[in-house]
Amino acid sequence: MTRSTPRPRATTRTTTRAALCTAAALAAALTACSAPGESADSDAKASSGPIKVAVVNAQSGQLSSLGDWEYKGAKLAVDEWNKKGGIDGRKIQLKLFDDQGDPTTGTNIARRLVSDKYVAMIGTAESAVTIAMGPVLQQAKIPNITSGQSDGLVALKSPYLFLNGPTSTTYDSTLAQHLVNDKGYKKIAMITNNGSFGKGEHDAFLKAVKGLGVAPSTDQVVTTDQKDFSAALTKIRAQKPEVIFIGSEEVEAGLIVKQARDLGITAPFAGAAPQGTPVFIDTAGKAAAEGTIVSSPYLSNDVSDATKKFAAAYEAAYGKEAELHGAKAYDGANILLTALKTSNGATGEELADAIRATRYQGLLGDFQYDETGVGITKTTIGVIRDGKLVPQQ
Amino acid sequence: MQETLQTLVGGLSLGAVYALVAMGFSLVYRTMGLVNFAHADIAMIGAYAASTFYLTSKLPFAVAMLVAIAVTAAIGLVIERVLRPLENKDFDLMLIGTIGFGIVLQAVAILIWGTTGRAVRSPVQAAPLDLFGVRVRTYDLLVMAVAALAVTGLAWFLARTKRGAAMQAVAMDHEAATAVGINVGRSNALAFSIGAGLAALAGGLVGPMLYVDASLGGALGIKGFAAAMLGGFGSIPGAVVGGLAIGVLDSYAAGHFQGYSVLVTFLVFTAAIMIRPMGVFGERTVSRA
Repeated sequence: MTRSTPRPRATTRTTTRAALCTAAALAAALTACSAPGESADSDAKASSGPIKVAVVNAQSGQLSSLGDWEYKGAKLAVDEWNKKGGIDGRKIQLKLFDDQGDPTTGTNIARRLVSDKYVAMIGTAESAVTIAMGPVLQQAKIPNITSGQSDGLVALKSPYLFLNGPTSTTYDSTLAQHLVNDKGYKKIAMITNNGSFGKGEHDAFLKAVKGLGVAPSTDQVVTTDQKDFSAALTKIRAQKPEVIFIGSEEVEAGLIVKQARDLGITAPFAGAAPQGTPVFIDTAGKAAAEGTIVSSPYLSNDVSDATKKFAAAYEAAYGKEAELHGAKAYDGANILLTALKTSNGATGEELADAIRATRYQGLLGDFQYDETGVGITKTTIGVIRDGKLVPQQ
Repeated sequence: MQETLQTLVGGLSLGAVYALVAMGFSLVYRTMGLVNFAHADIAMIGAYAASTFYLTSKLPFAVAMLVAIAVTAAIGLVIERVLRPLENKDFDLMLIGTIGFGIVLQAVAILIWGTTGRAVRSPVQAAPLDLFGVRVRTYDLLVMAVAALAVTGLAWFLARTKRGAAMQAVAMDHEAATAVGINVGRSNALAFSIGAGLAALAGGLVGPMLYVDASLGGALGIKGFAAAMLGGFGSIPGAVVGGLAIGVLDSYAAGHFQGYSVLVTFLVFTAAIMIRPMGVFGERTVSRA
């Protein structure tokens, strides 16, 4: 007994020393990372330990449902990769930051990502926040796969910014073509909010319908936190439009449609991604949302085998039905992880180049990034029938 | 003309809700001289509680509302009890204390109900009434009726009951009130719990009109606070007038100035406050700060 006790103690001491040495080496390697240049990248490649990836998304505030969906989608992808053994034996460590849907909070988080040496960032779902974070991430060479869709993201011209879906222009030109050419609508009313998303939708849709030779009969703008839309909707009702374009986030769009039906407006609404979500349908009410025309790259979970598999995995993990935003984030995370794999865990410029070179068959379609950071330029038209988004017949 | 009337109807129904929020602000202020910054978040908790009892526990809407009011009144009592040692000692700390409670309530709401909010279906299924082309939602009529009842009930309580009179006395001069044997602490607790109950009433009623999530308090609080200021902080009739005024002003501003409506609403509000700093029914005697 007495003889055997010193031995483990000695082992403990050596392990502690070894651990200290590793920690010191790791610290040295990480410091080397922060220095710009090629050598930093090769150092990072050699380093072991988990690959740090940040998810930045609103977990509180009015956009928290978006942030929640996106986090769930990204986490699902990362969990699947980790289950398969990670990348070259290294686990992917996912950490969630709450930006509250606020650009100032976002920029603070961006600085933290730089100082905490994150390899890449997934998010945010709000274009305005992503745009605010862009310059900091570009300077620190941290690739960012965003769920935003504003054309302002492209205008940023950052080689480190990638979109996991189409831009507003794609959504709205597809929608405008369907409304004007396929349906033959001539009297189109518009209601959009003055936030970054609503403004982007307004400009993109207006340009698209004007290009097709139709001018909207009325163009109403509301604020992002407005609750009563009587005035704008009464004006729209007086114009007797055949269809009403709506450019607003889930909850507000739901309220607008609900109040419109109460005011006796029977014309269908048409919009982009938010109008296909369960939050929109719940807020508006099933009857009010019926017939809403939606332009979306992900119409339902039943489109292909891949989407069915994704939806089943999502349901199993969270007990909730999958939808567009989760699917987008899942695609985005998979593209990032694929790029990490093909580049053997590179960081910075090399990783950004690897993402740009990645060809990926995702849930939304075939991704192939160009120099603007847009990887997919196609949406399809769906309609809400009986509280569900289904492909247009 | 039709548009003007329709806008008025839309503004009045939200205005009734702002009036209820403003009344809760005013009641606590007149009794304790304190602005309860947690008030709007109590309304949010009330909205969540009412929707949970209504949608999940499947209670009738009226019963769900009563349970929600009881729950939030209890929260009001807790807040008052925690802040009581500071009463008449450190006013600033009390104020910050209420802000802190507001943040805590938001965090608790996210913990309990998650980040995704919920839509509450209207308990009144009847189709909107059509009066010469102006559509009035039946649920909005119910909201206005309940708000009117709450105002009358509160006015009666303050003027006609012993407890209410005691609260008025504390509001006027708490030292004199103590001298004549009124328990100031109990009176404050009562004011806080009634205020919280009013917040829950506002939150519960607004649930089917809007969307219930953790940020609901922000939407109600700023307008409700502005309504209380406009009517005269501490005045119950002032809160009602202020609430309806803010609601209607907001709706008209939205119609005429579109994206700049918030700016216009608060510019008009600022101008009104500059012309009459006390508000419409303002009486500065209640200030104890």
